[in-house]
Amino acid sequence: MRGQSIRLSAALPSVQYDQVRTLYRTILVFATVGVLVLIVGLVEFVHFEPPAQASGAQARIVGVYLFDPTTGATSGSDQGQFARTQQFAAVVDWSSLPGGITVDARWYDAFGDVVGRVGPGAPAQLAGHQVVPVVVPSGFHHSLPGSYTFVVERIQDGIPVEVLARRIVLVRRT
Amino acid sequence: MINVTTPPAANPHPRLRPSRYGIAIAVAAVVVVALIASSFLNYVYLDTIPGRASLYGLLAVALIALGTYILVRAFSRDRAMRRKHLIRASVLIGLGVLLWLLLIDVFVFTQSAGPGVAAICVLVCLPTTGFGLLVVRRMDRNEKEPWRLVLVAAAWGAIVATSLVIWGETIWEATAQTSLVPGPGLDASTAFMAGVLEELAKGSAVVLLFLVMRDDFDDVVDGIVYGAAVGLGFNFMESITYMTNLYAIFQPEGIGGYAAGFQWYARQVLGLFFGHATYTAFIGAGIGIARQLPSVRQKGFAIASGFIVAIAAHFSWDAWLTFFPIQSNVFGLVEIHLRTLIMTGPFTAAIIALLIFGVRFEGQNLLDQLRKEAADGLGAILPDEVRVLASPWQRLKQRLRALNQGGPRAYLALARLQSAQLDLAMERWHRERKEIDTPLDAEVQLRVRVIDLRSPTAR
Repeated sequence: MRGQSIRLSAALPSVQYDQVRTLYRTILVFATVGVLVLIVGLVEFVHFEPPAQASGAQARIVGVYLFDPTTGATSGSDQGQFARTQQFAAVVDWSSLPGGITVDARWYDAFGDVVGRVGPGAPAQLAGHQVVPVVVPSGFHHSLPGSYTFVVERIQDGIPVEVLARRIVLVRRT
Repeated sequence: MINVTTPPAANPHPRLRPSRYGIAIAVAAVVVVALIASSFLNYVYLDTIPGRASLYGLLAVALIALGTYILVRAFSRDRAMRRKHLIRASVLIGLGVLLWLLLIDVFVFTQSAGPGVAAICVLVCLPTTGFGLLVVRRMDRNEKEPWRLVLVAAAWGAIVATSLVIWGETIWEATAQTSLVPGPGLDASTAFMAGVLEELAKGSAVVLLFLVMRDDFDDVVDGIVYGAAVGLGFNFMESITYMTNLYAIFQPEGIGGYAAGFQWYARQVLGLFFGHATYTAFIGAGIGIARQLPSVRQKGFAIASGFIVAIAAHFSWDAWLTFFPIQSNVFGLVEIHLRTLIMTGPFTAAIIALLIFGVRFEGQNLLDQLRKEAADGLGAILPDEVRVLASPWQRLKQRLRALNQGGPRAYLALARLQSAQLDLAMERWHRERKEIDTPLDAEVQLRVRVIDLRSPTAR
């Protein structure tokens, strides 16, 4: 019986043994692997988002302003939206934070990439870096549009464990 | 001569409404409520779509109103007419809902890049998705699923499932963005969100097919086909969304076409089967296995298992994608392919293994039933036909021979006959396994149909 996809030789045992049980057990095994994958994911989440990490410290973000990269100075009023041709920076009041902790400040773009950073270090060490600008990605003329998140984070064992302050601004497409 | 004392069977259609229809109505009601909430939230928070809703909404509202009217009247008819009216009402209401959702999708997802770019994105995604559906449907070598159901599954994935997840994902993302530490923890949260919400939305389509179209949902193979079709539909709409969105983001830098083209390749070529099709195929596999299990407890475990694997596969891709960074050089092109192969390949291999096993299992049992039917001597399947009917290649060869001898009409007539004979064998298989929820004499009807198709007047 050449070219036949259904094998006669294997047909007879199938009547005696219900192969649905094999399929059932197989999908149960796959589900067990799936549960393990999800547990690993949960462990990863808890590792990077550890519970009970509220230190009580709060950073103060003074505002988000237009930024001139040639002078390194900010201007204008605190804004929540920018055109993509505009450059902007957050201003942080590091003095609002207690000593003895390690902190940094970062800008994340809409893709989750870090596009500006100051730190890590003790708040006193960062006092000279109040302005944290968004850096235009290499090879691009302007910032990419979308939602940008600015966070001041507390660092522990090299990992950010707590957000001490947060601002979200929108970069318009036009 | 046909033996009328043959034990009754459920196929093709039960006269009484089985209890699973009640579950189907409940699931559909939940979906409709979720869709209304989704539309409301889309309107308020995502996009007001000014003026357009009243324009395109009229037709959708009219279709739903007419469908509802026929639905209400259907219940005052006799049983024979009621069925016709219920079908008409379902079609009209379904069309209305699909039109409404499709247009919302088009405006919400594509207006950023403009209708021209959106139309091009749709056009380039259609052939690849069509190819995917063709391949997925052909995977069922013994008894192919009807195109109408495969397309309904894909349409659900593209339109209903994407609409169902918009509000849930928006709320989850907004909450996570304002409460979690950016980085891998946030990525894991987003991946859990996508895995759970998107697989539940896609899986509800497969569950509804399982509950309502039981006659065309036979086993694990059918489940994989329907699940993959839903996944391909979802992937179609998601591809268009990403292509138009990234075009709009990168076009001011002069690389919008490149960004959209990369998305097309990643999602419609590389990820066509290594993605949503694989994930949702697991849901279908679980439901398909449940279809043939005897106890409710086992059915529940099988369906839950399918959902768990689908969610895990989806989660692993979204959460750990960042652990496989791609270099921006020529080697990066190799890395993109390797990444997909390493991360999704094992899941795709697992579903292919289930499919191969299912096809073999189905084939063996169909052969067994074909032999038994031929041995009964009722005339629907002759002993000489068993060998041909048991092999897809032999069936094709026989149809091609008919095409040469009698033209396309002979080809189609033989195709209908072969299909009816396989339906009969499938029916016998389900009856023998006691996978029938309502006793009926449909097996006799199927046998009569085969004999009618065999008569010269049917050719």
